[in-house]
Parts: sequence; C-alpha cells; structure tokens
Amino acid sequence: MSKLWTPKATPKLPEPVKAEGRVPLPPADADVFTTACDYCTIACGYKVYRWPVGKEGGPKAGENAMKTDFPHQTMMGVWASPAQHTVVSHEGKPHHVIVVPDKDATVVNPGGNHSIRGGTLAQKCFNPETRTRERLQNPMIRVNGKLQKVSWDLVTDVMADISQHVIAKHGEHAWAIKMYSYQYFENTYAITRLGMTSIGTPSIAPHDKCANTNDATGLDDAGIDSFGASYQDWGDCEVAFMSGVDPYETKTTLFTSWMMPGEKKMIFVTPHRTMGVAWALAQGRGLWLPIIPGTDTVLHNAMARIIIENNWQDQEFIDKWIANQWEVDQGYGRGTRNTGWQWRTTWGNWQSDWKDYSKWIMEQEEAKLENAAKITGLKAEDIQKAAEWIAKPVNGKAPKTSFMLEKGNYWTNNYMNTTSFVSLGLICGAGNRAGRVISRGGGHQRGMMGAGGGSGWLNPEKYPGRRKKDFNLDRWVMDGQVKFAWVFGTTWIAAMMGSQTLATKMLEMTRGSKHQIDSLDRKAIFETLKKRVDEGGMVLVDSDIYPVEPINTDIADIVLPAATWGEDNFTRCNSERRLRLYSKFYDAPGEAKPDWWAVQQFAKKMGFEGYDWKDSNDIFEEAARFGRGGVLNYHPLVMEAKKKGVKAQEMLRAMGTTGIQTPIRVRDGKLVGTLRLHDPDNNWGEMEQAEVQNAFMYAFNTHSGKAILLKSPWGFKGWSQFYQAIQPRAEKNELWVTNGRVGETWQSAFDDMRKAHLNQRWPWPPIFIHPDDAKSRGIESGDLVKVHNDTVYVQTGQPQGVKDPDLFFDNLMKDGHIQTTEGFFTSVAIVSDEMRPGVAMASFNFPGAPANAVVHAVPDPVTNNYRYKLGRGTLTKVGESPFKNNFTAMSLKPRPIA
Amino acid sequence: MNQEINHEHRHEEGEGDRACLSRRRFLLFGVAGATLVALDSVPGLTRLAQAMVASYPSQKVGSLSALKAGEPLEFAYPYPDVHNVLVKLGAPAGGGVGPAKDIVAFNQMCTHMGGPLVGTYKGNHQVMGPCPLHLTTFDLTRHGMVVSGHATESLPQIVLEVKGDDIHATGVMGLVFGYADNTGGHA
Repeated sequence: MSKLWTPKATPKLPEPVKAEGRVPLPPADADVFTTACDYCTIACGYKVYRWPVGKEGGPKAGENAMKTDFPHQTMMGVWASPAQHTVVSHEGKPHHVIVVPDKDATVVNPGGNHSIRGGTLAQKCFNPETRTRERLQNPMIRVNGKLQKVSWDLVTDVMADISQHVIAKHGEHAWAIKMYSYQYFENTYAITRLGMTSIGTPSIAPHDKCANTNDATGLDDAGIDSFGASYQDWGDCEVAFMSGVDPYETKTTLFTSWMMPGEKKMIFVTPHRTMGVAWALAQGRGLWLPIIPGTDTVLHNAMARIIIENNWQDQEFIDKWIANQWEVDQGYGRGTRNTGWQWRTTWGNWQSDWKDYSKWIMEQEEAKLENAAKITGLKAEDIQKAAEWIAKPVNGKAPKTSFMLEKGNYWTNNYMNTTSFVSLGLICGAGNRAGRVISRGGGHQRGMMGAGGGSGWLNPEKYPGRRKKDFNLDRWVMDGQVKFAWVFGTTWIAAMMGSQTLATKMLEMTRGSKHQIDSLDRKAIFETLKKRVDEGGMVLVDSDIYPVEPINTDIADIVLPAATWGEDNFTRCNSERRLRLYSKFYDAPGEAKPDWWAVQQFAKKMGFEGYDWKDSNDIFEEAARFGRGGVLNYHPLVMEAKKKGVKAQEMLRAMGTTGIQTPIRVRDGKLVGTLRLHDPDNNWGEMEQAEVQNAFMYAFNTHSGKAILLKSPWGFKGWSQFYQAIQPRAEKNELWVTNGRVGETWQSAFDDMRKAHLNQRWPWPPIFIHPDDAKSRGIESGDLVKVHNDTVYVQTGQPQGVKDPDLFFDNLMKDGHIQTTEGFFTSVAIVSDEMRPGVAMASFNFPGAPANAVVHAVPDPVTNNYRYKLGRGTLTKVGESPFKNNFTAMSLKPRPIA
Repeated sequence: MNQEINHEHRHEEGEGDRACLSRRRFLLFGVAGATLVALDSVPGLTRLAQAMVASYPSQKVGSLSALKAGEPLEFAYPYPDVHNVLVKLGAPAGGGVGPAKDIVAFNQMCTHMGGPLVGTYKGNHQVMGPCPLHLTTFDLTRHGMVVSGHATESLPQIVLEVKGDDIHATGVMGLVFGYADNTGGHA
C-alpha cells in the first residue's frame, strides 16, 4: 500500500475576534420567518428578522420588531447578541438578518432557550465579510489537478456521460451514493429516488456508517422505535438512566429545558465526566459510572440481576407487555424471513421471555456483582446504587425511570449493548408510557424520506444461512468495485473507521490514475474518465457547501456547490418527530443550488422520468406517500393542504416553530400529532381520511404487539474475539482512545470554524487525558499530542457466512479477511481528571485530526454496524501548540466546572 | 425551564429608568474619550481593542493595594445598572493589568440568556460560572472566552488602566447582555 494519507491542516492561532459593542435592531416592519436549528437532533425553534441595509429599528419597544425596550437587564429577556446578526443578500440586495431562538416557543425550547451551536446560526449564513466567503459557489471540474469553474450544464453532461458508461459496462453496483440521511426530506427523497428507484444501485450508504444498518439494533429487535419518546417524557421521569451520552453536551435544550428542573435523579454511564455529569453530581442527584469502554453489557446484566434478585421488577408490566415464547416464535419468528433480523431473533442465543430471561440472568457468572465490578471497572456499590435508583420501589411504587442511549453505548458493542440495555429498561416497566420510555437521545435530526425501491438483495455479502445483509459501501470501495460515486454533504472519510486507509485507497483510485481530465471538452473528458474507470479507477463527485479535506479538495473530479439551510424551503422532523418548515430567507451564494435541484438536472440528462419538480414544495408533497407506513408520516397534512388548495409547505409554515409531531393523524377533521409511540392510548380503531391504523402506534413493533426480552451473553464469540484483539496493549503503553463531541462543536465543525468566536474557542480539536496518564507521558495541557495505533484492523473482501463463526474475528483473520494497517492524528492535550484513567477522548471528526484513524473497521458480525468508540493508541508529546501560552485562543481549562 | 428565577437586578421601569438615562448621558457626553494606551503591553488585547469604536468614560473601580487575589470586587460601569466584577486572578491574563498582569474585570450577566454570574468565580481555575441557568463557564484569563456551555459571545471584558495605585475602567469589549448598543441608543 502507498504511504498513508495525512491531513494538510496544522494548528494555527486564529485571527483575533472583533468584540462588537452593538447590534442593529430590526425595524418594526422587518420581515419575520420561523425556522428551526440546522444542527443537533433537538432542533430548537428560531425566528429570523430580515430588513434592508440602510434601515434600523429604534431602542423603544414600538420602534423595533422584537417589541422590546433596550437596554434592559431582565434575565431571560429578549436580546440579540452580535453573533446572532449578519448581512445577507435577498433578491440581490443586502439585508440585515437577526437569527434568534423563538421567545414565543412553547415546545422544544420554551422561552427561547438555545445552545451555543444554534445560538450562532446567523454566523453560518453566507456573508463575504466573514469566513463564510469560503462557500463553494460554482460547479467545478478538476482539470490538470486544479478545480476549474464550469457551468451546471457541462458538469451534469459529464456526469451523465460517464454514469451511463459505468452502469452499462460495470453494472449498477459500480455506481454509488454516499449521502447524509438528515439534510431535509426534499433532498433525501430526491437523492434516494435517483439512487434506489431510477438507477437501482445497492451501493448507497448514509453519512455515519458504511451500510444502511440499524443503529440501536437491540431496540429494534425488542420492538421499540428509537425515537418513540417525547421531550416531555424526559422531563416527566423521576430517574434517567443515560448510557453513553450526556445530553447537556449534545442535546442541550433537552437537558437544560426539560431535564434540569425538578429533582430528577440522573445516572450517566460514560468514561467522561462531562458538564452535565459534573452538574448532576454537584446537585447531589447524579451518579457517574465511568465504565471501561465496551463493557456496558456486563453492567446492564448485573443491574438486571440485582433487580430480579430483589424482586424489584415491574411484574404487572412484564405480564402484560412482554412476549412469551409462543408469541415470540409465532409465524416466522419475529424477524422478516431471509434477513439478518430473522437470523438474530431466532429463539436461542438472544430471544427470550420473562421466565427464560430471569433464569438465564441468574446463571451468568459475569452478572454477579463482584465479577461485574471487576469487568466494568466500576465500584460494586455504585452498580448496586444504580440498580436501586432505577427500580427499587419507593413507598411501594416503582420509580418512573426512563432509559436513554446514544453512541457511547451502541457504537462500542452494537448488538449486545443495545439488547442488554433494552431488556433492563423493559423489566423496569419502561417503553410505552409517560415518563417511562426507552429511546435514543439522537444525534442529527430525522430528515430521511426514502423513495423506496432499494436493491439490497444485490449485495454479495450474506449473513449465515444466506440471509440478506446491508451493502457495505466502504468495503466495496476498498475492493476497487466502485467506478462512480456521488457524495452528498458528508466528509465520508473522516467519519469512517480506519479513515486514513480509506482516504489512501480513494486517492489511489482517482488522483493515482494516469487518466486525468486535461481539457473542458465534453467528449475528451468522457474519453479520459472512461479509460480511468475501465482500468480500475473511480470518478468522484462531491456536493457540499465548503471545501472539505480531502474528499473535495483532493479526491473529487467534480465539485458541486450546494444551497443549504435558509437558502430554500426545507422540512424535517426532530428527535421527538416534530415536523417544521425551515424557511428560506436569503439567496444562496453564487450558483449554489439545493441538492434536489442538482439531482433533478442530472436525472433529466440521464433520461429518467418523474423529475419535473418546480420547487421544493412539489417534492415535499410527492414524498409524503412514501412515508405513510412509518413514524415520520405527514401524508394527512398534504391531503389537507390539497383539500384547501394551498401548498403543503405553506400549511406547515403556519404552524411555526410548534409544527406537528408525526405520525400525523386526523380526528374530527383536524390534524393531530403523536406524543409518543407504542402507547395504548393511541389506539383509535377505525381511521379517518385515507390513513390506516399502524399497530406500532399503540403496541410494540412486533408480531404480537408485545416487547421481546433479549439475552446478551457476554461470552458470545462474535464479540469477545474482537474485543480481545483490540484492547490497548500494556507493552506498548497504549490507552483507550475513544471519541465524541464537545457541546461547542457541531459535526465536522464545518460551520464552527467559520464562526469567529467558536473558532477562537476550538481552533483545533482537543484530546482529554487524565492527569495520571498525562504525567507519565510528560504531557501538559496545551501540548500537541500524537496519537498512534500501529495495528488498525480493517475487514476486507466479501466474506460469506455459512456457519456463525465464519464472520467472527478469529476466523476472518485466519481466512485473510482482516488487513492490518495503522492510523494516527495530532490533537491538543487538555489534562483533566474528567477522564477515567486509561481512557483518553478525542474529537470524533474535526478537520486536521481524524480520530477515527485509530479505530478498527471491523463491523459487529451480528448487525453489520461498527465500534467507532473503541480506538486505542500511544500518546506522545510532539511539541507545544500555539495555544499553550496565549490569551486569545483555545481555553485549556477543564470543561466540567460545577 | 428556569423562567421562575428572577434577576436581582431587574431593570425597573419609571423613575429609576430615567435616573439611569441621565447618568448615561452624563457618562457618555460629560467624560468622553477613554485612552487605550495601557493596552499596548498586551499583544492580543491591543488588536482586539483597536476594534473598539465607542468612547467610554474613565472610572476608578479599585486600587492595587486593596485588591486581594481571589476576592472579587463588584462595581457598576459604564452605567449604574451594569454590574461587573474586578478580580485579581493570581495568573496572568489577556487584558490583565497590575505588576503581574493578572487583574481583570468582567461583566456579570451571562451572555447566553442574562443569568446572574454573581458569586460564581472559581479561583482555582480563573473561571466565572457556571451560570445557574444553563451552566456556561467563562475563562477570565482568555478575555472571557466560553470554556463550556452556551453563551454566543465571550463575557464582556471591562478594559482597565492603572494610574498609580488606582485601577480605572476605561471601556467595554463586547456587548453587554440586554443592550443593543453599549454606548447609546437607549429607549
């Protein structure tokens, strides 16, 4: 293999920030729009005030659109910070905009609460006076190694020419899409319509994984939708058990508006004592379980054992809602025939009922308290306390406990962490009622509206028993099978495991080819690219809003400028399934267009039919019928809009920041939202309008409507062989190097690094290190630290599972399906006892320091999902960062100061 | 939600408001032209301060001899309703004055949603906060930068100048919560 790709970016002191002493106020007649935040899954409601430059509102309430007297010193009063103002172009003329959280919001972020991410949304809008000037503004083709501006017409001709050749000669498998799964219904519908319906390729993967797999797979198999809960439920619970997540950091207003008030007890299972954890501890109502990465299953099983030993389980709930063996096995078993789901859920290893589960748990050696304490690295009394908090009856009544999980849980041991977690929740009586829910906290918003027609059956990989398996796009690339790939709004590489190896391979297949475009002649380009793909190379198109290293700066042959939030009317749901309109309020820069438009132009050139949308509303209306059977169903809204003769998006606009929770239903002629899924109160019997009653609304999502208890045997070799292989090696002085996100950063920091204050705060990603681990390595806060894993495992080829162990780590290794490579990145140390000793935490996907480089690309053989949080490596000081001794950039203070 | 918490410095309407207004006018037009000379010794701050366009009054807020490390001193500036804190950090800081460059002053209204930061100074880390509302903390050695949390601006820093033993406030860097303009445009 050629030399590993390494990022070019280096840590530098940012330009000083201008400390503004004023902010212009919107005049009373300013235009007002509602929208929601572009970032995290909670999606706070926002208002946008827009008015022409040259005009300004006055400080008296009657003189400004915020209807407030300035100045004031009223806590939580109406205010716009300078970061909430910018100047944009609207219909070609400069306009001020103020983007502020909606003070009138009654849902999600009541009273205008917000995070630092959404609070600075204005700074994301294109304004040539700020670093947003770096936005991609023209379609470009790489000619002689350099990107040259071209027309949309030429670029889509070129794409269609080579696509037709690739599909005809190499098959639809060779034509791939790597896409965000969240950036609005209108775009995801258009993209999946192209890839799945029109082209029919199986080679499609979402932004966060190599294959379109389940996320919290155990929840799905138990019959629980990952987003069944409402924010109200997290507010109503008396105890919150949070696994691999601190919502303060990553789901801010869910925590600050809904969970902080009151006397709720909070249990956090994470090796990182983040601010939410520190605060709950300081309040005397927190319990921190700093677990050894990867051992959550043992903790869950041990807690379940304590509960069963003490008879604290919610027997009434179990008797009513847990499936017995007959109900589990009826029909074809729970899973659909010929799927990995069926393979997982056949009675035996995993599936169970109350009688079987309660007997099984008592037989597990690792579930005994003292053994569990040893394996998890937790104090036995803390495990005991956690079990008491979540289940021990108070005055004869079970506590109202809710269970939240996120990536610290399901991205360390995808199947077993989620199965053991959901079983623990179910025996505590959670899953389908107010304040007693089992749910993901969520990462991004719910913006996927698939057009259907997937071709997953074309995947050469199979689960044992030749059962269907989701197509793994990264492995397909690594095998050199992809000839054409279109990337939509994702870093692809840095977000994936073993990322340097993937980047290196993709560079080889593009820039490494001797066939490079050297003119802007359509025919010549086609001839060049044809030779490239026929001789083992690949053509890559990247649609994005900014230059992203290396996917469009180095790899892409064609770069397309996308229009984004605020630049078109878009829709999507948040993590409580709340659907809102994200209003257009300014002009996209240059020739940037929404991705649905780019798809449309390309599809027309390909000769595909059904791409005649005039605007995003046309797509919103068309897509509705494809979501009818699902949890994001908004079809009744579209029907109602048609009846009234208005655009469906305009009907949604009228609902402002409140929107409506999907699935939407109709009762007495009115649209009604859904507070929570699986709740028996949702059973309305016969439905109005064209809707059908979906059983998951009022029962668990299983054949019987009852939830399924799942066993999670710690000794399962599909897990234990891998876990053994990837332990930090004492002889090399390695640490666990896990990764995550701090609250001040969203995703790959694509906007944050262009927001002046946020760029000052985090000009380079940190790695948090415990003082003991730092001292022995001579590392101080502010030092540059190189993290290196010299043994990164990458699964290769298309191994067939005939018998179960064929896909377990030891056999894959024996059969030559594991490539051994390496990975490294450089971060700035923050030495703090917020970490568990032996575990360091890096930023997961920050430009210049791809922490996934030290993570193994070997999926969970049961679910095909990955273990992103289980990196390892040596930590070596390589110098002092420019931030160590300066006063303007990157605070090195510990973050959890409570 | 935390809306039930009332700010002790709630801006009153009526007579008090007019009193504030006249004081502001006096400060703004009676004592114009703050000097930024002292800032030249602090590279980072000089560049920041050059961006300041407003003119602020000069006001004595403390003295070197009386100020003790880790014991914050409250003062109002540039208006009676704008509450700040003068603190000797015991560690050099951006914009720090005094022999050890460790004396700084900051506004005490959280720039997230105006929560009261009074009494939240943490001497061991030179950090202000967490704000009782939504837990934002600010690094006082780095111009009030957010350490963790949700304020969309750094904490406004009061520019200081030393004259003999006296410490004077001479300007404000950053917009004070609840203000649209630090130096004018009042209702």
